[in-house]
Amino acid sequence: MSEWTKKGPLEWQEYTYKEVRVTACEKEFRGWVLTTDPVSANIVLVNFLDDGSLSVTGIMGQTVQSVETLGEGDWRTRERLTHLFSSGHCEGYSL
Amino acid sequence: GVPGAAEPLESREQQVRASLRERYLRSLLAMVGSQVSFTLHAGVQVTAHFGATDLDVANFYVSQLQTPIGVQAEALLRCSDIIAYTFRP
Amino acid sequence: DTPRSSEPPSERPGERRQAEMKILYGASAAKIQAMEAAVQLSFNKYCDSKKPKYWPVIPLKF
Repeated sequence: MSEWTKKGPLEWQEYTYKEVRVTACEKEFRGWVLTTDPVSANIVLVNFLDDGSLSVTGIMGQTVQSVETLGEGDWRTRERLTHLFSSGHCEGYSL
Repeated sequence: GVPGAAEPLESREQQVRASLRERYLRSLLAMVGSQVSFTLHAGVQVTAHFGATDLDVANFYVSQLQTPIGVQAEALLRCSDIIAYTFRP
Repeated sequence: DTPRSSEPPSERPGERRQAEMKILYGASAAKIQAMEAAVQLSFNKYCDSKKPKYWPVIPLKF
């Protein structure tokens, strides 16, 4: 269905930390790109909410029709995204 | 070592792939126990507690699935039925 | 090297998987493999104990 799944890691990485609008199955999703899974091409978006909390949206790679960059993150946004789910804050994960 | 330019393309690609994958896996692990809202095909919207996901097929195991016709204690959502999912960590 | 008689003749899925992981993820292969195992194990555990049914019964999209 989409060109998105055919991209490679370096191309997906270009979108990381950017604000994007994703169209998938005629639906629109907006947010900051946390990552794109290199196996499924699923995109994970983060939205910072007014009350200080955040919401995370995963979009299945197979359904992605287009990804449009809306803006570059400043260093604070980048910083918040980098530390999100990083080691130590990840419950449920133990080896 | 020699920075940047001298690095072979393959290893840079491996590095990037690993970091993309790691962040994705961490986001899945962070979702465990959260209330998740799923946007499915055919205009169906459901919420459930996320339990686990299958990495190969990417089916989602959920509990307390609130469907338009009632609550199902345990369910498996098919990857191919899902457009997107949202949760608040 | 020849496989021992107790093993299936030409199949070493663990080793092949490890080699594939190395090609994909380079130096991070072991870390990624461990995280994937944690995710998959948790899924298998739920499915074995709870035996969940697909919802909806019929796929929404073919």
